[in-house]
Amino acid sequence: MSKKKENELKTRGVSNAKWGYLFILPFFVAYTLCTLIPQLMTFYNSLFMNYRDGLTQVGPKFVGLENYIKLFSPDNTGTIGILKYFGNTIILWLMGAVPQIIVALLLAVFFTSYRLNIKGQQFFKTVIYMPNLIMASAFSMLFFVLFSPVGPVNQVLLASGWINKAVDFLNIKISVRVLISLMNFLMWFGNTTILLMAGIQGIDQTLFEAAQIDGANSWQIFSRVTLPLLSPILVYTVITAMIGGIQMFDVPQILTKGIGMPNRTSMTMVMYLNNYLTTSKNYGMAGAVSVVLFIVSAVLSLIVYNSLSAQYRKPKRHRKY
Amino acid sequence: MKRKLTAIVTAISMVTALAACGGSAPASSTTAAPAETTAAAATEAPAATEAAAETEAAAAEESSEGKVFNIYAWNEEFKGFFEKYYQVPDGVTVNWIITPSDNGAYQQKLDEALLNQANAADDDKVDMFLAEADYILKYAGSEATQDITALGVSDFSNTYKYTVQAASDNNGVVKGVSFQCCPSALIYRRSIAEDVLGVSEPDEVQAKLDSWDKFNAVAKDAKDKGYYMTASFAETYRVFSNNCTMPWVDADNNLQFDPQIEAWIAQTEDFINNDYTLTAGIWDDEKNAQMFADGKTMCFFGPAWYFNFCMGNAQDPDKGCSGDWAICEGPAAHFWGGTWLMAPAGTDNPTMLADVMNTFINDEEVCSALVANEAQFSNNQKVNAKFAEDESYGNEFLGGQNDVAVFSAMTDNIVWENHTIYDQLLNEGLQNQLQQYFKGSVDKDTALKNFYNYINETYPAINTP
Amino acid sequence: MMNDEQSRKARIQLMITRVVVYAILIFLTFLCLFFFYMLIINSTRSNAELQAGFSALPHGHFIENFKNAWTDASINIPRGMLNSFIIASCCAVLTTYFSALTAYGIHIYDFKLKKPAFLFIMAVMMIPPQVSAVGFIQLMYKFKLTNNFLPLIVPSIAAPIVFFYMKQYMESVLPIEIVESARIDGASEFRTFNQIVLPVMKPAIAVQMIFSFVQSWNNYFIPALLLDKAEMKTVPIMIAQLRSADYSKFDMGKVYMFILLAILPVLIVYLLLSRFIIRGVTAGAVKG
Repeated sequence: MSKKKENELKTRGVSNAKWGYLFILPFFVAYTLCTLIPQLMTFYNSLFMNYRDGLTQVGPKFVGLENYIKLFSPDNTGTIGILKYFGNTIILWLMGAVPQIIVALLLAVFFTSYRLNIKGQQFFKTVIYMPNLIMASAFSMLFFVLFSPVGPVNQVLLASGWINKAVDFLNIKISVRVLISLMNFLMWFGNTTILLMAGIQGIDQTLFEAAQIDGANSWQIFSRVTLPLLSPILVYTVITAMIGGIQMFDVPQILTKGIGMPNRTSMTMVMYLNNYLTTSKNYGMAGAVSVVLFIVSAVLSLIVYNSLSAQYRKPKRHRKY
Repeated sequence: MKRKLTAIVTAISMVTALAACGGSAPASSTTAAPAETTAAAATEAPAATEAAAETEAAAAEESSEGKVFNIYAWNEEFKGFFEKYYQVPDGVTVNWIITPSDNGAYQQKLDEALLNQANAADDDKVDMFLAEADYILKYAGSEATQDITALGVSDFSNTYKYTVQAASDNNGVVKGVSFQCCPSALIYRRSIAEDVLGVSEPDEVQAKLDSWDKFNAVAKDAKDKGYYMTASFAETYRVFSNNCTMPWVDADNNLQFDPQIEAWIAQTEDFINNDYTLTAGIWDDEKNAQMFADGKTMCFFGPAWYFNFCMGNAQDPDKGCSGDWAICEGPAAHFWGGTWLMAPAGTDNPTMLADVMNTFINDEEVCSALVANEAQFSNNQKVNAKFAEDESYGNEFLGGQNDVAVFSAMTDNIVWENHTIYDQLLNEGLQNQLQQYFKGSVDKDTALKNFYNYINETYPAINTP
Repeated sequence: MMNDEQSRKARIQLMITRVVVYAILIFLTFLCLFFFYMLIINSTRSNAELQAGFSALPHGHFIENFKNAWTDASINIPRGMLNSFIIASCCAVLTTYFSALTAYGIHIYDFKLKKPAFLFIMAVMMIPPQVSAVGFIQLMYKFKLTNNFLPLIVPSIAAPIVFFYMKQYMESVLPIEIVESARIDGASEFRTFNQIVLPVMKPAIAVQMIFSFVQSWNNYFIPALLLDKAEMKTVPIMIAQLRSADYSKFDMGKVYMFILLAILPVLIVYLLLSRFIIRGVTAGAVKG
């Protein structure tokens, strides 16, 4: 496109600014009403002592940063709770998300590969997303039954003679973590696969054909064509998987009855937040946890966004008006 | 967690109950009763509004009482009884606001409504709500409920003492009534008792298990014969905690461990170390599996709703052992569960509210119907006594034992004392944390410290050590 | 000669790859379907049988459970499904349309607040929903919007994560030429979006529609606090209510049947929409 034309378009773009505002207006109105105001209330609350003792409201009383100080002070067991739960969250997330993204990427490539030409695609694609259709609570219920000391998994293991005493899967640190990660993996890998597939299908197919004609092998096609062009969607899946991971709640909550057994090693940040919210409506401490949660995920997302985008950012990009 | 309560209607108990008393309380005659009590209650109603300034206008004349009666509940149990046995006054619409208890949704919903009561339009006000034993004090002890004696519910001569105490605040002001009574018994396998104790009849078994010392000693005998005494580490928790001599927190809101709680911990440590019990929770499949005929457990604890409903494995026609069970009081009197009808401050239907309450505790026909048709252990001593004396009445699951008679004898020993608004989650929290200790995944000290952490998060007002 | 051998080698390689790929797919399929199998088996068992432990074989109570669930006097599951369907489909439509619109606004136009707006959305994306849930409930109580579907539908207009997806998708596939040519043709900005851009975004929209439909369908906490009239309740509330039922009515067979019924509609929606994903709609649009 010539310089002149680009300038012309640019001018037109500016005159079209009102369209930009108009198009994003509904989002911001809805967001402000439904989410932002309650959120700001929460953040503001983090500076107050504010909870319910039974039906009696205590506070709100301004306490400055006291809630934050309490949050980062050692608890009864001598550890700094929030750091421990942050660590748990990251471990649980990595255990589920790494295989999730790798498997999803592989599957997306398999499904979209003309060379492999996989039969029964419709079936496989349908099936891999299906675990996501089951409510997390129902899914956890099934896992609970499966892995209970008298459940079928133990029955099979006992019958086969691999173990001679039932394993209490839900009370061993590593098995609880593996189960949580497995559930998260099963619930979300199909979702990620579909996202990536839609991304790959969005790529101009002539590019693949051209690459093939040029004699590129599958790895080359994948690394030189698919991956760079897919990078925006890939960045999206990594960041959303991370947000999902940091907000991880329902699966460990239900599987461990909300107590993060054993010894709180499967308690996530949001479960911790939830402890403050449910009974005592402790908006002060819950607000403080939320602010920490927000800062942590903002920083992480920024890092991921920048590093991944930079890596694949090619000079040739769609110009904008 | 399944922590609901409940009715007592299995096929078994229904059949026996109907067979025994079908003639004395035909369902068709019971609906006529409530009309009589209405007039008596109505005359006292206007005095009731001290806590309800905003409803002055509505309460000034009884004829102008609200046309909408809102009842908050977490399940359909009471709704069924209400619709069957209560004659709603003409022109009044009853609204059921049912919110499941999952995730604390019921209490959250109810709290918002009660705290908003003063600003709510008359037709949106809470007119009655249901509460469980576990958290009743949170409401009974607050300003959100009102004195029901002022509304015209003042005859508690036939109700069980603890059900009235439970619904009272610290000054003894009564805020609600229970339509059922839930004394909890020791439920034992007759065949195992025969093997371990040499006897199987309730009176003889009771004599050998009427104190904790005897109970603990028998646990060893049971072990020697290859049995478990109980099937859950928390099986005896309520038996201890119902008999605490001091509340969970002192006057300055410092956490304190009652000797009874300490005794439970000591007993459970002993039971776990010696394999007298399992590390399963009260509701775990591992415990339920012990209820089959090939189970090895002698004792369970629970009220009528427990053995009628929650012991499905024992009732299984193929693998169960119905009839091989019996109940006795056990080492200490206690109760488990129960649903109370509570009177919210600011209701615009005080007359009807009082009428509903009176119907379910003092109307003998309705109470009899609850026992006969619904297999409830009613909250009316006179009515229960009638069934207790009926020799033709018996529960097949318990080998024909008259459970109403056993429960009637037990209720006098039940006390409701030393409770706090924190009980439910402190009891639950302690069990959850100590279970990890009993399972060996943490040491006792860590388990207790995790319990303190849990308290700090759940109840900021409590000071932990 | 060389070529022949090479191609034979390539063919063998391809075959091995295929075997491996199919093996992986079959394994994952087994994992995914196993839980449905378990649900279906459990929905054929009576409460007593379920209490008695796990079984791999179906029992004969499927029809009985179905009848019990479908005609339950107090829990009107057909009505719940209708309610859930209304809410979930409104959410799916609104969330995809407005997210695409917002993404388009930010992607295509230049305006002073463009960058701040983008950064703002990116930042708020990270905030867990639990943070605003309690405040939101309180506000809705104040505005007397309980027992109303609006508070469950309107917030879906502002879905930062869906927006982000649309934005990323546009970045990778929306050819600027299409927008340009539409403008040269004199189409208005709004029409360009609706008639030119939306069709190009079909795969992305279909994907996010499924996701938001499922999410909304399975949403429990907020609806449980806002809906209490029997005729307004959604499926997850009903399932929770069933599990919260008193013991005289507590029936796990029915619970499993409910869960199974609850999954069916989302499965159907998924099957319908997944066709869009599988076709490469965009490629055609660009070329055409």
